[in-house]
Amino acid sequence: MSWQTFLLHLFTYGILLYSIILLVCYLLIGAFSIMETRAYLHKNSFTDYRMLAQSTETPSMSILAPAYNEGPTIIENVRSLLSLHYHNLEVIIINDGSKDDSLERLIEVYSLYKADYFINQCIKTKPVRGVYRSSNPVYRKLVVVDKENGGKADALNVGVNIAKSDYFVCIDADCVLEQDALLKLAKPFLEATTQRVIAAGGVVRIANSCEIEGGRLVKVNLPKQFLPKIQTLEYIRAFLLSRMAWTKLNGLLLISGAFGAFDREIVIACGGYSSKTVGEDMELVVRMRRYMEELEEPYKVAFIPDPLCWTEAPSTFRILGRQRNRWARGTIETLRSHKKMFFNPRYGILGMLSYPYWFFFEFLAPIIEFFGTLGLVYYCFKYAINWEAILIMAGVICLGILYSVFAIMMEVLTYHQYKQKREILHLVLVAILEPFVFHPFVVWSAVVGNFDLIRKHNSWGEMTRQGFAQNKQV
Amino acid sequence: MKILVAEDDQLMMKMLEFRLRKDGHEVIITHDGREAVQKLDEFQPDLVITDIMMPYLSGLEVVSAVKKKYPTGTPVVILSGMGQENVVLEAFQLGADDYMTKPFSPNELSVRVRRFNMSAVK
Amino acid sequence: MSGRLLTYLLKINWKVQDVALAAVVTLMTCLLVFMLVYMYIKSRREKKQDKWRMISDMLINKAIFYEDRDEIEDQIIASVMTAAQELIVNRHFRKFVAQELVSAKKNISGASADSLKQFYLQLGLDKYALRNLDSRQWYVRAEAIQELTIMHTDEFIGQLHIHTNDKNEYVRMEAQAAMVQFKGFEGLNFLDDIGYPLSNWQQIKLLQLLSLKPPSTISMDKWFKSTNNTVVIFALKLTRNYRRFELHDAITECLDHEDADVRYEAIRCLNEIYTDETSDHLIARFLQQGLKHQVAIARAMQNVGSKKDEMFLFDLLTHESDELKLHAARALANASQDGLLSLEQYSKESEEAIGQILMHIKGENAA
Repeated sequence: MSWQTFLLHLFTYGILLYSIILLVCYLLIGAFSIMETRAYLHKNSFTDYRMLAQSTETPSMSILAPAYNEGPTIIENVRSLLSLHYHNLEVIIINDGSKDDSLERLIEVYSLYKADYFINQCIKTKPVRGVYRSSNPVYRKLVVVDKENGGKADALNVGVNIAKSDYFVCIDADCVLEQDALLKLAKPFLEATTQRVIAAGGVVRIANSCEIEGGRLVKVNLPKQFLPKIQTLEYIRAFLLSRMAWTKLNGLLLISGAFGAFDREIVIACGGYSSKTVGEDMELVVRMRRYMEELEEPYKVAFIPDPLCWTEAPSTFRILGRQRNRWARGTIETLRSHKKMFFNPRYGILGMLSYPYWFFFEFLAPIIEFFGTLGLVYYCFKYAINWEAILIMAGVICLGILYSVFAIMMEVLTYHQYKQKREILHLVLVAILEPFVFHPFVVWSAVVGNFDLIRKHNSWGEMTRQGFAQNKQV
Repeated sequence: MKILVAEDDQLMMKMLEFRLRKDGHEVIITHDGREAVQKLDEFQPDLVITDIMMPYLSGLEVVSAVKKKYPTGTPVVILSGMGQENVVLEAFQLGADDYMTKPFSPNELSVRVRRFNMSAVK
Repeated sequence: MSGRLLTYLLKINWKVQDVALAAVVTLMTCLLVFMLVYMYIKSRREKKQDKWRMISDMLINKAIFYEDRDEIEDQIIASVMTAAQELIVNRHFRKFVAQELVSAKKNISGASADSLKQFYLQLGLDKYALRNLDSRQWYVRAEAIQELTIMHTDEFIGQLHIHTNDKNEYVRMEAQAAMVQFKGFEGLNFLDDIGYPLSNWQQIKLLQLLSLKPPSTISMDKWFKSTNNTVVIFALKLTRNYRRFELHDAITECLDHEDADVRYEAIRCLNEIYTDETSDHLIARFLQQGLKHQVAIARAMQNVGSKKDEMFLFDLLTHESDELKLHAARALANASQDGLLSLEQYSKESEEAIGQILMHIKGENAA
């Protein structure tokens, strides 16, 4: 047997093995997701969230909304945050050295004054220029912090320092929340008895083409543009299937930076958000989990599947590429700084299942796919068309489409946000197109992200000004 | 009497509407705090009944908006599920004229509204 | 040889792949068809619901004006009732109308609420709910209990009480809520022998229900001594909410409880219920506690502290935790009339940098 045939067989069987493992993963994720979703929906059917909204006995919560040059929308967004249903609420807007007039607008509309404020520096941050409160008693929940620019992680850390509450919810200032979002997010913390809930993640849905009025979602529509439409499918798949399944196993590693709640005490104990990574949302959850594993205390990361947070998705390939590039870098950086846990039985599910899954299917998958496809194309041109390998790949693609269709079905059976048959058919069509149009681009961006990271380590690293649009990893 | 009602719960709104119409009042329906404040100028109501937890603007903001616009007239009745002392106190401090908690008795509401009507006639 | 075997294997795979591909495509089509059929059925049911909604709206409408009835009204009610009774065999209609009546009942009280209950009973919905109490599905049981509770059908108290210690968390939560709804503070006696922890959520729910009931000074000794820590915590919350000053000693005993959460709740409780000895109790236990509890004590000192505790509080100003310092300074400022003055004095004299803390407290007092 010549080395070419050997390579060919290795390649063919490699892909076959990979696709079999993928199939098993899909099946398990599907099954676990169904179980967890059913249990959640049954619980929810007789939960009276109004009771929680009306109670003054609820734990205190702070919303942390970092804002960087959000001038045009900041007033409306703050207003909608202030009208969220929750009694013991504090809304903290962190102006991360914006260069526009966001702060002036806020001061004027909400009659803010600069308060003498002692900040307890639990976590080291960039200097704070001032803390503003409203002189109007109606806005007593509002705190506006003005600080020097330091990026999203630093802004959130300032918020964590200033917050006086037991729990905090971090959100992107451009997100639109449902009225009862906080009540639903607070519930897992309150229900815990034997395990301490350290964080609770929420679903992020795509708001492109939806009707939004005054910082509030009025009508849900399927995005009309192609890229947001495909991302809608992607988000449904990630949140309704993957996150739910991982929650069932108590192995959830990622809470979207756009919308999640955290136990403040533990976040402080872990040292807060890390400014050293572009994936601070994932890194924090991994670090918190690791901390709890090392303390050997029972804990849980919860997840709420209701569509509660809506956000604009990138609609051009350029912005999307940058976003995916950053996600890839964030994943690698997180995995690298916690590599100690890789197949380490001391860390339980976290070390034996979650971490390896992320390593193989989030970090390595794009690389394998990229070089695999490249190799196959090369082989076909150089030698002969390898029908076996092509067929296996076709099988993998079909499997992926099936998985997407299953995700769409779960959406229809559970939350059914897209009411028209036309919209569902569009989603299915998009599911069929995705592997050929969208997926290669995402893989390419991730590979470039890997490459950028290696390059950055060889040079001095880029010192760009940090804004923080679109940092919500799915 | 012209009554502006701000309430985001559909069923609750229906019940209020039934009752107040039957008592012979003109009812202006609004579904959130912002709509309520916007319609103040248009309709010049004689009484405002508002929930506290609503979209856009809370009932407390509605109270302070009404009191700012009509420092002497237009009483505001709060009808809320929150019955805790500190919330009630806050509402009265902002200028609310009456406070009822849910679950509410439609008959009681009817009587309380009538009282405002009489003082308006005086 | 091995090359031949491999090509042979691949040939088999070829067929397996064919079959697999076909299976995947079929499955996908099945899922699609299922989804479309589901959507169709759902939209048809929604259309039917318009009629259902009319019936339930009529019932609620009539309930609200039940007292000013005449013959015509009676006739209308009777005809709506017949229409509803005809549909009641339909499981979906039953669920729908029960839900509508329940959510109306949640919002109203008085005579109107009574007539809503009467309609509920007339439709025989309580019978169906009772039947669901024996369901094998926990959520059906829990929902049935909730429905009966909101409808205030207190004749079934006995049947509901046995569920207060149910294996399923949600079933027992609903049953416990039912007891409180029906019997007020008396209903809490399920706490005497409850084997499962009482979640924070459930405590909030019970307190919320109790806040709508006339206050009563029931005996809580048993609960303070309970081996179930969450029951002790709940008792402390009740004590605090209802200002049960006579229980001061029972609370201070909880400061030495082995469970950290109980101790924490006890400190919070003393925030509201205190005598001039309370601060001594707290100070005596300060050093044994972790930081979280120490902060809670410092915070409590704002209310319970007085002139005699100044020494202790000044000591805290040199503590390494900024949070403790802040609370200590606030407590000092509130400990006596000239508290703020002596704090200012301290700020000038000592090398401890508490200038910013002092400003913060002054700002708070001004606001």
